[in-house]
Amino acid sequence: MADRTYEVMYIIDPDTPEDRVTKLNEAVGSLIEKEGGKIVRMDDGGRRQLAYPIQKKTEGHYVLYEFDGSGREIAELERRMRVNDMIIRYITVRVDEDRKKADKMKAKRDNRTARRARFRQTEDASPEAAA
Amino acid sequence: MPERNTDAPAEREIVTGDEQFSEKMPRRYQRRRPRQVVPDYVDWKDVEFLRQFIPERGKIMPRRISGISAKDQRRVATAIKRARSMALLPFVWD
Repeated sequence: MADRTYEVMYIIDPDTPEDRVTKLNEAVGSLIEKEGGKIVRMDDGGRRQLAYPIQKKTEGHYVLYEFDGSGREIAELERRMRVNDMIIRYITVRVDEDRKKADKMKAKRDNRTARRARFRQTEDASPEAAA
Repeated sequence: MPERNTDAPAEREIVTGDEQFSEKMPRRYQRRRPRQVVPDYVDWKDVEFLRQFIPERGKIMPRRISGISAKDQRRVATAIKRARSMALLPFVWD
């Protein structure tokens, strides 16, 4: 039942050394795979200014994972992130439903414009036929 | 007492100044902005897009000013809230 898509974003403490950051990212990726998820995208956003201080830090290292899964991976993943001291914030968002809705809306709009174009064509063609 | 004295002439002034609009005078906010284009999928990571719905104070722009549909407003609002929790957007600007 791997029909859901999730986005997981987390902010890593800016004071952690680079090698530990990469190790952490790998650990997260392998955990997702182990729990039965399939990674679609991994995006290391790098350091970024925080909009407000968190734990007296003004910067953070943003990492985004996108994966397909059943949703049962989330519990373990979030538990690990909560326990980890390097991760200062995390969020998991289910995105497949909204994307599907967006696709449907786009299809609807395309359909309508196509129909309108067809209508206009016949309108243009009819006077010629009369002449 | 002195307060009432200062109020009264001001009121009369408005009425005499422009009779037609005097009744509608307390118009507090601006007219709706021209319709914003909201994409089908509102990405909560798209800070640049979400910023246009946040005036200086950092609050979410109300619908009567943003002028977008209720459905879009809802989607934009949740996206802003998600972005806020990840420190992509501020809760308040000082």
